Amino acid sequence: MATATAPARASGPGRPPDRGRRNRLDRALPYLLLLPAAVVLGLVSLYPIWAGAHASLTTYLYGRPIAGAGLQNYTDTWHDPVFWQAMWVTLKFVVLAVVIETVLGLALAMLVARDMRGARFIRLSILAPMTVAPVVVGVIWRLIYESQTGFVNPLFSSLGLGAPNVLSHQGSAFYGLVFVDVWEWTPLLFLVCLAGLQSMPQEPLEAAAVDGAKPVRLFFNHTLPLLLPVLAVGVVLRLIDAVGTFDQIFVLTGGGPGTATQLISIYAYNTAFNFTDYGHGAAMLIALLAFALLLVIVALTLMRGAARRVSR
Amino acid sequence: MTGRSRYLRWAAIAVAVLFCVFPFIWMLSVSLKRQVDIFAGPTLVPQHPTLGNYSSLFTQYHMGSYLLNSVIVVGVSVLASLVIGTPAAYALARFRLPWGLNDHALFAALVVRMVPPILLVVPFYIILARLGLLDSRLGLIMIYTGINTSFVIWMMQSFLAEIPSDIEDAALVDGDSRMSALRRIILPVASSGLATTAIFAVIATYNDFLIALTMTSTPKAQTVPVGISTLIGKIQVEWGPMAAGGIVGALPILIFAFIVQRHFVRGMTLGAVK
Repeated sequence: MATATAPARASGPGRPPDRGRRNRLDRALPYLLLLPAAVVLGLVSLYPIWAGAHASLTTYLYGRPIAGAGLQNYTDTWHDPVFWQAMWVTLKFVVLAVVIETVLGLALAMLVARDMRGARFIRLSILAPMTVAPVVVGVIWRLIYESQTGFVNPLFSSLGLGAPNVLSHQGSAFYGLVFVDVWEWTPLLFLVCLAGLQSMPQEPLEAAAVDGAKPVRLFFNHTLPLLLPVLAVGVVLRLIDAVGTFDQIFVLTGGGPGTATQLISIYAYNTAFNFTDYGHGAAMLIALLAFALLLVIVALTLMRGAARRVSR
Repeated sequence: MTGRSRYLRWAAIAVAVLFCVFPFIWMLSVSLKRQVDIFAGPTLVPQHPTLGNYSSLFTQYHMGSYLLNSVIVVGVSVLASLVIGTPAAYALARFRLPWGLNDHALFAALVVRMVPPILLVVPFYIILARLGLLDSRLGLIMIYTGINTSFVIWMMQSFLAEIPSDIEDAALVDGDSRMSALRRIILPVASSGLATTAIFAVIATYNDFLIALTMTSTPKAQTVPVGISTLIGKIQVEWGPMAAGGIVGALPILIFAFIVQRHFVRGMTLGAVK
């Protein structure tokens, strides 16, 4: 668990010991400074996780706890085909979206990196999709996809392809949502890659270019390895976020048609809040929490490495 | 750089920029159309531009109270988390605590920030129900303060650690106490870090949907994203007001982001990439 980047600096060594009272106060000071935050963090993290674990071991009927359930909620979840279907949709969604975003973001960053004329404007406009609320993103794409208000159907029709009605078919709805995620989050990977490229030492690259290395080889032998730590940070952060994707899907399809776009987050939400079955909802979420924690630990390890390499 | 590859590069950049911006322009266009024109087929420029959707947003759809709730909830929770989190970040950046406490505290802070909110929603709901704080601004403020505090600790720790400790040592030698050194010397130096942290906390809190959706049920406490989502009714979708709501919801945060774009990467990657 000991992973973060804590810079250890001894507090003012060698001060005269005669200032007794103040010295004692100074020694207690870090703990006094930490105390309020510790209380708050305990209340919003440790306690909810405990409460969630407790709920996952309880049977709920119409939103009221009626009995202890032991591990029943977990075994039910394990044998629930809809749960596994949702897991599969989540996995497909996360992998597909993050891979496309990484490739596009990297490619775009390579294009923009050097000549920086108009870079400010480019950066501003590319920033927009990831800055606005995911609900707004959902609204935007609802307006675009929808048969009555959007331009996707007329566009396809005018090309003689027939109106796709993206969100009303099982197959296309899923890819429509992946497309939205790519629109929203490619900018993040673009910005991360751009930052990595700009902080990269140029000399080895130029030396290799002078030696006659081909651009493609240059990229794979020099640029990519140097960029990897920074890229890893972006990818892992995105992975963690993508696992919890909820807002856009809630607004765009609500998990439908059928269960085609029902990610685990949507399924757990519906179980807990539409069917007021907090027990099963909590059990699914605890299972997902274990997965997310694993990702966080990986992320932290990578970030520590990246911060060390990038900053100086 | 040959001429052809330069054109190719600019073409690719132009496509990317257009791809990012055009959906916003489409939403703006729909928000300025009358209901009949929305269904009259796709046109980018509204034939009869109107602000009717915006005014009905405020007269019929409670946008005013959503905005007020958002401002209050975001303002109070971000301020509280800065006041609570910054001293803790200072303690973690400046003192070596026993039992590896520095690392554990930072890890705990990061877990809260990184874990997808969907995981915490059921427990939050149960807790707020027990406290009788469902559908209240206070309930939202409590949750957001907690989540933001973890973010503030993590970010401010990295900003404060970059400030050389010599400058406050000098103040300490001059007879300042730790607290007054923190207030007089460190905070001014760290002010740009504080601003970056605050702004990212504001963006994340303002944009949150899931927590606000589950913890609130009436315009008394609902925030802007939840308010916008209520326009997508079960039976009928109010396209014009919905688009106008999207514009109203997006505008403050876009302006905010443009102000801090220099710090954007750092804020979005929790300080890992500068």
